[in-house]
Amino acid sequence: MRTPQKIALLILVAVMLALPQFIADMPYIVNVLILAFYMTTMSMAWNLLGGMTGQNSIGHACFMGIGAYTSVLCVVKFGMNPWVSLVVAVVVTALITGLVFSQCFILRGPYFTLVTIAFAEAVRQVILNWDFAGKAIGVGLPYVRGNNWLLFSFRDKAIYYYVAFAMMVGVYLLMKRIDNSKLGFALKTIREDEDVAAAIGIRPLKYKVIAVVISASVSAVAGFFYAGYYRYIDPNIMLQSASVELVLPAIIGGSAFVEGPLVGGILMVSLSEYLRNTFGGILPGINLILYAVVLIVVIRFRPTGILGWLHGRRTRKEGKA
Amino acid sequence: MSVIIEVNGLTKSFRGLKAVSDVSFVTEEGAITGMIGPNGAGKSTTFNMICGFYPPTSGTIRYRGQDITGRRAYEFADMGIARTFQIMKPLGNLTVLDNVASSAFFGRHRAKDLRQAREIAAETLEFTGLYTKRDVLAREMGTPDQKRLEMARALATKPDMLFLDEVMAGLNPTETEDAIALIRRINNGGVTIFLIEHIMRAVVSLCEKVIVLHHGEKIAEGTPDQVMNDPIVMEVYLGTGSREDAAHVEN
Repeated sequence: MRTPQKIALLILVAVMLALPQFIADMPYIVNVLILAFYMTTMSMAWNLLGGMTGQNSIGHACFMGIGAYTSVLCVVKFGMNPWVSLVVAVVVTALITGLVFSQCFILRGPYFTLVTIAFAEAVRQVILNWDFAGKAIGVGLPYVRGNNWLLFSFRDKAIYYYVAFAMMVGVYLLMKRIDNSKLGFALKTIREDEDVAAAIGIRPLKYKVIAVVISASVSAVAGFFYAGYYRYIDPNIMLQSASVELVLPAIIGGSAFVEGPLVGGILMVSLSEYLRNTFGGILPGINLILYAVVLIVVIRFRPTGILGWLHGRRTRKEGKA
Repeated sequence: MSVIIEVNGLTKSFRGLKAVSDVSFVTEEGAITGMIGPNGAGKSTTFNMICGFYPPTSGTIRYRGQDITGRRAYEFADMGIARTFQIMKPLGNLTVLDNVASSAFFGRHRAKDLRQAREIAAETLEFTGLYTKRDVLAREMGTPDQKRLEMARALATKPDMLFLDEVMAGLNPTETEDAIALIRRINNGGVTIFLIEHIMRAVVSLCEKVIVLHHGEKIAEGTPDQVMNDPIVMEVYLGTGSREDAAHVEN
């Protein structure tokens, strides 16, 4: 990375860190930003499997849901400390997805995508019909007074803001590291061509399972955060629409780039909230229509996403020079 | 010279259709062995069986005396066997450098980090004459360069044995000469080569031994000269002569 970019990045991070001090009396804005960080984290998790490995999942809300439910049920039913429940949630999610998807990766392309949809819906139905998990009513976390790090519950939204921001940055750094590692090269080679991967000594199945397990584990962490923030979850968090929604930031930002979900996530969540605020009152539903229009325009005219477009413009310019 | 690959009674049937039938041959370590034959003769099928992409219906493949029949494709790079694909398969959205770096991470180099992988890749690109294109996306290159990239990617796994599947198809005469020179250089570096090729000039100038397949069967084997003058091979390539054609006209 060049020095001016580094400085710009540092300034951006500083602004993000200082921001809650200035908008503390605007809980709505803080909430939108927390949501944006959460969505971006989820989208980065998706992008490891979708963008980097080329295995498109439309079931990631379910990975997040398994994490959220495991953590909340451990806390509520077994009186576990939330931080311990986070570890349990990640392990459970990793095990389930590893076991299920190691059997499903013989399916390629759209067939794999269909399996992710079926898997997500199956898990949602199980929760919906399971007394222990609160059925359709869902489960809530117990009320905690004040700010309590040990029980992961805060009265100050600003703390959630920092936690979400740290989670997003941490996941970004993880993804960046993977991108430049042997694992990342294995995944990208598999995305481009599985026969080539095999010919140079990469076992496609092994690496696809690693990708789905990491992706699901990160989703589980995001699920833990989601539950800790909203203090209540129900099976609707695993709806198909939720899975689709968290794919969009990666696609809009540019799924070929580790930074894609970052750009897309911040942009799309802010845009969607802005539209809802400004137009939602004028005519109910118009904000969703406008959101869809923006989506269609980007996908139609810039299918490689915002970063793909900027990158292409830069390389073209360099080519001419 | 010792035998590096030994193929015995190799047969492949696709739902009753015999694509390759009872083919046996050996290749010598350090040599360049060629396989020729008309379209549909079963060359690529034989090739894919040896490289672990198709399981053979029957027969055995030995590599340095060890039975490797039924080994999976991803195990070959570790054994020191690399291949190219007849229909080029560039990793289109990666740069040329990263295409080759991926091989350096796996195969037998086992680069420990990206810097080392790219160093190995850069060396390989220099050797294959693609260094100036290292930052180009692989899909944006033309056929000759993509063919070269196929070879560079295979080489970066550090093989002892290299299988080349029609790396000269679609090249013009100058590019063919370049490819021949490159294959010679690879071979001089100690890599045993087995190649499928349609371009006779290349086969004649490169191969010590040629195997001819027709309808899935081996019909001849020998030096390029011997094979070219073999009556059965001439019949397969040039037709059965004018006597029969005349008979057809009369009827």
